[in-house]
Amino acid sequence: MTDDKSKHGEVTVLLREWAAGKPDALDRLFELVYPDLRRIAGSLFRGERPGHLLQPTSVVNELFLKLIRQRSLRFEDREHFYSLSARLMRRVLMDHARSQLRDKRDAGVSVPFEEALAWIDVKPVEAIDLDRVLNELEALDPRKCRMVEFRFFLGFTAEETAELLNTSKATVDREMRFVRAWLYERLHST
Amino acid sequence: MDSDNWSLLQTLFHLAEETPAEDRERVIAEHCSDPELVRRALEIFYTSSALDDSPPMPGPTASLVRVGPYSLIRLLGAGGIGSVYLAERIVGGAPQRAALKMLSPHAAGASFIERFHREQHILGSLDHPNITRLIDAGLADSGQQYLVMEFVDGEHLDLYCDHRKLGIEERLRLFLEVCNAVAYAHRNLIVHLDLKPSNILVSQEGVVKLLDFGTSKLIRTDSLLTTTVMATPAYASPEQLRNESVTTACDVYALGAILFELLSGRRPYANSSVAAMIERAVTEERPEDLLAAITAEGAQNRGVSEMRLSQSLSGDLQTIVEKCLQPRPSERYVSVDSLAQDVRRYLEGEPVMARRQTAIYRLGKFVRRHRVGVTACATAAMLLVGAVSYAAWRQQQALREARRAEQMQLFMHQLFRLANSNYTGKPAVTVPEFLRLGVKMLPDYIRDPADLLQAKIALAESMFDNGDLDDAKTIFEQTAASARSMGNADAEAESEAFEGHIAFSQGDVAGGKQLTADALQISQRPGVSPAVRVRAADYYAWNRDSLYLFSDEDLRLLRFAADEARRSNLPLHEKADAIHLLGSNLEFRGHLDEAKPLLDEALGLLNQDPASVCDKAEIYGELAYLDEAKLDFQGALPLYQRANSGYSACSGADGREAISMLAWEAAALTSLGRAPEAVRLLEQARPAWEKLPDRYCRWGIFANSLARAYIATGRYKEAEGLISQLATTCEKVTAPVGMGFVEYIWAESLAGQQRYQDALPHAELARKDWGEIPASVTLNPEGDKRVADLDHLLADIQGHLHGPPPPLPDSHPRAN
Repeated sequence: MTDDKSKHGEVTVLLREWAAGKPDALDRLFELVYPDLRRIAGSLFRGERPGHLLQPTSVVNELFLKLIRQRSLRFEDREHFYSLSARLMRRVLMDHARSQLRDKRDAGVSVPFEEALAWIDVKPVEAIDLDRVLNELEALDPRKCRMVEFRFFLGFTAEETAELLNTSKATVDREMRFVRAWLYERLHST
Repeated sequence: MDSDNWSLLQTLFHLAEETPAEDRERVIAEHCSDPELVRRALEIFYTSSALDDSPPMPGPTASLVRVGPYSLIRLLGAGGIGSVYLAERIVGGAPQRAALKMLSPHAAGASFIERFHREQHILGSLDHPNITRLIDAGLADSGQQYLVMEFVDGEHLDLYCDHRKLGIEERLRLFLEVCNAVAYAHRNLIVHLDLKPSNILVSQEGVVKLLDFGTSKLIRTDSLLTTTVMATPAYASPEQLRNESVTTACDVYALGAILFELLSGRRPYANSSVAAMIERAVTEERPEDLLAAITAEGAQNRGVSEMRLSQSLSGDLQTIVEKCLQPRPSERYVSVDSLAQDVRRYLEGEPVMARRQTAIYRLGKFVRRHRVGVTACATAAMLLVGAVSYAAWRQQQALREARRAEQMQLFMHQLFRLANSNYTGKPAVTVPEFLRLGVKMLPDYIRDPADLLQAKIALAESMFDNGDLDDAKTIFEQTAASARSMGNADAEAESEAFEGHIAFSQGDVAGGKQLTADALQISQRPGVSPAVRVRAADYYAWNRDSLYLFSDEDLRLLRFAADEARRSNLPLHEKADAIHLLGSNLEFRGHLDEAKPLLDEALGLLNQDPASVCDKAEIYGELAYLDEAKLDFQGALPLYQRANSGYSACSGADGREAISMLAWEAAALTSLGRAPEAVRLLEQARPAWEKLPDRYCRWGIFANSLARAYIATGRYKEAEGLISQLATTCEKVTAPVGMGFVEYIWAESLAGQQRYQDALPHAELARKDWGEIPASVTLNPEGDKRVADLDHLLADIQGHLHGPPPPLPDSHPRAN
């Protein structure tokens, strides 16, 4: 670890590198943060689908807090941190879906696309589709992809999403209506 | 396909949303020539509408109809640690209702049942009419753990209040019930840790019931997922958000957040994300101001106007809430009982304790006096000790040698230790006591006479700052004498300047004049530091001007002090003081335009120092007066309010300064035609004013202001009572300006009762007094307006006594 990294906290430094467009940083971040995220997210999968599950928001907030306490992260970087977490959470969940698919082939029936915690009810096959469609969205409109990740994968409220994306709740609501229908269309038309 | 026309697609979609159904397809088609894109936009739009119409979250799933001996009836709610159902069980042939909480696996943990049994006897002992009982716990067939609690058919506290549009007082009474229940649990050593309006129900009969008491104890605490999952962040104390140890102080914080919401209509920081809350928790940010949360809707739900609500919440309630929401547990109410007591005091119109100076606050003031930028996060006692001892002797450069520094550290450390051992379990040691202790201990630690002298001066300044004038004076007399014998002009001038200033403050004008003159002379000797030269000049000139002497020499000295303070770049506070004194004096002399920029400059300097509440309050008061002098009463109001809250924080809400700011604010309200508000404000503060020594003469502004407000609301008799008391008590004390005004109000109160014969001599006396006012005092529009008002009153009285009114004087003698 370089001096610089130990001073500001490695996560902070890497986040900044990532934000500045260095792709290597993401892999390193992934290594650093993924185990925690995976472990926390694991408790989501172990539950036998009770009516309501732990909010992923809490999961990420816990992680955020932990990194802050360790001084591996600074507050100024929270936008980046949450963007990264949303991205990683998506990856965690998709990995999970893929491993389930490997274990047993599951044809899957279409389930209505719930905005709140989209992935909880999504069958593995759908999850893979969702990932593919989100990649399409990323190419078209990265900002909207962030929005979806915040709302669907971290369970952030429209207010929280708006704060992180530096916009208003009304805008988030409005854009989400469009993007949700668009995603649904893409998922069910192919 | 979407990629080419991505933004157009969105535009069309939103257009479709905004267009009524019958026009939709036509309008969309008109906006785009590409039929494929139109089709696609409409498709997405119809999909969106269909998604909106689809049913939301499902109720309990089919597999969840029976849990142990309970059958579930319906879902009541869901939260971070699980879902709550209305459940029923047959006991002795009769159905018994209960609330059953299914815990999510992460919350329960493996040893849940074991922990439940361990805690059960404690929880079972909680027997209070406002606390729901924990009945049972168990393991469902699915392997999920659950808790069973007494079921209460009621509404959430906040909704209950809003639906009934309860006023502030009724809300406070319900809140007191909540406090009583929490205090009861605390006495049984049980903390709640997740208090929030949705955990507090009010039954149909209006009885408050707290839910979930003790459940926090059952939730596993070993996982990473603790606080933010468990507690609702908006009501969680900063230490909970920081994952630190939790105590009853967390519940005090949560109660403060609940009170904040009950009073204002929304939670503190309602719109911020959890991340921002955590950030505030870690940086120990000051709590949000209650008044900032008031909205029209909130006021409506409390059956009052926005302005009324703002008035009822400002002051004591604001302080109570703020004291609960302090980022540091030690600065909150020490117990829920003491919070409840303050709320009760408020309801009974008694002064609340939150405003009283605490030892911590006074210690803060001690630190402030030594010009330390104590940062909000510097909590460690050693840091404080270090900072104080460093700052106290910084200016004397006495710390050049490490050995001395060590001695000072040791001294301060011992001092704090002694003060703390007194502190434990007893009422806090007061700062005067603390400082006296310091003076007594000093010679044991500081052997070098020069160091000892400086240390004593520093401690005496702190005593002075704390209002312990007698002790300060004794020490300054000693230090002046030893400085003289040591040939230390700097210390001698400083000591004598303070001595003289104190003499003036204690009414010893002759002594004060002599001492400050001596100090001024000594300060001009070579080798005296700029700081002392500035202080000596200021104390000399300022005190003489307070006697209405207004000499050019005084003004020259004050200007010299301000310039010198700037030139030598004295520490922030001393520079600000010197500039402030000059500005204040110019204002006093009526040079308003020259005063304003100086006051602003001083305020700007003080704003850089977090510990300058008291000094800033003074400047706010003066800026308010500037506005008022220009008849800008609207502008003066918020400034007086700031001055009042500053003084309240500084010397207590019941202190004379805070009360006189309130009186000025009320006077401005009356001038704005808002006399009923003024009356309300002052009547609330009246008990505190009644307790002030010498209240009529030195703090006559209060009686004046209240009498004026009474007159404006037609309560002439009461106005007359107050003002005659004021006039007879203080006839010989007050300057003519003041007495003229008193006579004027007196005349008004009598004229209002149609007692024109009695009113006339008072009005004439007022006219005579004002005719003699030195020109410098009323060189402002406000003074002119007063004289004009008086002339109207005189004419009116004479009109009633002698038939038709004579023509008004063209102008009063001093206008133009």
